[in-house]
Amino acid sequence: MSAVEKQGEYQPEIVVLYCRNCLTPGIDPPSGVLAAGGIVAKYVPMPCSSKVEPSHLMKILERGADGVEVVGCPDGQCGFLDGNRRADKRVTRLRSLLAEIKLGEERLCMNRGTRLTSEALFALAQKRARAVAGLGPNPMKGVNR
Amino acid sequence: MKKMNAGTRLERVVAAGHFALTVEIGPPRGANPESVLKKAALLKGLADGYNVTDNQTAVVRMSSIASAKILLDAGLEPVMQMTCRDRNRIAIQSDLLGASAFGIKNCLCLSGDHQKASAAGKLKGHPGAKNVFDIDSVQLLAVLKGLRDEAVQEGGDSVDQAVPFFIGAAWTPLSPPLEFRVHRLAKKAAAGADFIQTQAVYDIAAFARQVAKAREMGLTDRVAVLGGVIVPRSAKMLQYMNQSVPGVTVPDQIVKRMADAPSPKQEGIRIAVELIQAMREIKGLKGVHLQAIEAEEILPEIIKAAGLSPRPSV
Amino acid sequence: MIIAEWKPIPELVSMLKGHKSVLLVGCATCVAECAAGGEREVETLAPLLRMALKTEGVSVEIKRKTIERQCEWEFVEALAGEIEEVDAVLSIACGIGVQALSERFAHLPVYPGVNTTSLAIREQPGLWTARCAACGDCVLGETFGLCPVARCAKSLMNGPCGGTRHNGMCEVDENVECVWNLIYERAKARGELQKLYEVRRAKNWSNSAHGGPKRMLREDLRP
Ligand code: SF4
Ligand code: SF4
Repeated sequence: MSAVEKQGEYQPEIVVLYCRNCLTPGIDPPSGVLAAGGIVAKYVPMPCSSKVEPSHLMKILERGADGVEVVGCPDGQCGFLDGNRRADKRVTRLRSLLAEIKLGEERLCMNRGTRLTSEALFALAQKRARAVAGLGPNPMKGVNR
Repeated sequence: MKKMNAGTRLERVVAAGHFALTVEIGPPRGANPESVLKKAALLKGLADGYNVTDNQTAVVRMSSIASAKILLDAGLEPVMQMTCRDRNRIAIQSDLLGASAFGIKNCLCLSGDHQKASAAGKLKGHPGAKNVFDIDSVQLLAVLKGLRDEAVQEGGDSVDQAVPFFIGAAWTPLSPPLEFRVHRLAKKAAAGADFIQTQAVYDIAAFARQVAKAREMGLTDRVAVLGGVIVPRSAKMLQYMNQSVPGVTVPDQIVKRMADAPSPKQEGIRIAVELIQAMREIKGLKGVHLQAIEAEEILPEIIKAAGLSPRPSV
Repeated sequence: MIIAEWKPIPELVSMLKGHKSVLLVGCATCVAECAAGGEREVETLAPLLRMALKTEGVSVEIKRKTIERQCEWEFVEALAGEIEEVDAVLSIACGIGVQALSERFAHLPVYPGVNTTSLAIREQPGLWTARCAACGDCVLGETFGLCPVARCAKSLMNGPCGGTRHNGMCEVDENVECVWNLIYERAKARGELQKLYEVRRAKNWSNSAHGGPKRMLREDLRP
């Protein structure tokens, strides 16, 4: 956490796009914004991680999010056969494009999980925040489109 | 004796029924003729023809025409290789006329390695080059035959006189599709090939089966087939060839012999000699094409040990 | 279809630097099918370009538009309004589309956003492979429907080179099947191998790019 705290005012904004099926059954799917521990997590539940569109992911970053965390089910446990693997491959390609444009591939990542609690989801957001800490704030912040 | 096509030594040796021998002299990656002359001095008189490669593996080297001319001047009879990768039919025919004017009369027609091969090894090569492949090796044979037998260019115009060539082609007898390979040989014979040099062979039994098929089709009477022998230098080289060189299969026991040998060099020489002797026993085969890649100095010993020296006078 | 692939984004950035406002134009036909130049790609590339330009410290406005076909004048015409508001165009259609735009809007630079590579088929999801090289003298009737011009690395006409790998792949690319091996297999399955035994003479390339820029005229269709 230290790297993030050193930034003072700056609180990395992490958008967490997660598949609902990754959650512990019965819990309320987190949504909306949670500002805690020096980061701002924005939750977007999805029916399957394969719903992430490349254009959508890029737009989130364009609008100034500092990191995007895609959360899908473990391999072989996708309710839609291989939606999670497809999401993974898209993320991999986009990461190389983010590296190519020098925005930093760490701004986007996919992780897998099952029976996650809301704390676990938040921990993934924190992990992403740590990964982008070295990159500093997204230069797109505050740019009017 | 039947009428000579070009009357080269290679052609006369084959026509007289002797077991022919060709070797290879790779042109240097530079303009200095010295290395060609050195290899020429080493091998002079030992073979019936000396293959000069045409930018083999698409690596830029001294041209095959110039290298062939250097050999000719040094008293060796070149087998000039000509590929379709870098020249269209206009340039090919022009080069053939030029080569003929120099006195070059053996020509081996190849499609050529793809330019990507130039960057496959340690060199940068020219993988970004544009290739030509206007015609293929079979069509190239037909071009030479037209120039020689009808004094006519591919496009139909005549040349002032017939251009004598002893026309060669390559054959990879053991590549898939195996059954088609003998027909590919037949096409080359039909298009104009007088002689054939095969890809390196280590699996004598499989090779003999393919030659037998060619013989049944009457092909070995129409074209003089020379079996390819590459002197093994190490077990590693053989494994590499087995895996990566198209159409080459190396039986395990040969690899093992090289691996177990106290002197791989001597074992390599022994294996080469054995391969040559085995080929002499294959009915229909008219000679061998012997290569020692970047180790030409061991060729004289092999040639003597295989009983191929001295060469017959024809 | 005609297939194309994105140019590296840094190359695009260097083209666009110095412009104020650029119209990124997609084409909903071939390049959309090959996931290089359709609406989805416009929507992905636009933010990427904005971010790339921003990280380079330059500001260029990127507008977006996808039309049905960039190679037909009626569709191209639909861009006339948007073109007024920009000082350059980045087209992610094939080279034909790029040229149609630069011909119609000749007062502006129209940059190619993709490299057009070949005439290909979507062999599998996410895999496109060459099928035709527009040689102008089609031989498919003699090669059992498999094109040796576009699909053999050496455009051979008389059967496989010595390089066919034991698994039937091409010596030049282990991921590409040797088309001559495929032709052989198909001929064999049809019981017509003897068709491959004939020597095919040198091809006439003059009805393709080798004969000079192609011009096809049909008097009966002219106004
Ligand atoms: S033969 Fe020529 S026209 Fe026919 S598919 Fe091949 S390249 Fe295209
Ligand atoms: S291996 Fe087959 S496809 Fe490849 S160059 Fe040779 S003949 Fe052509």
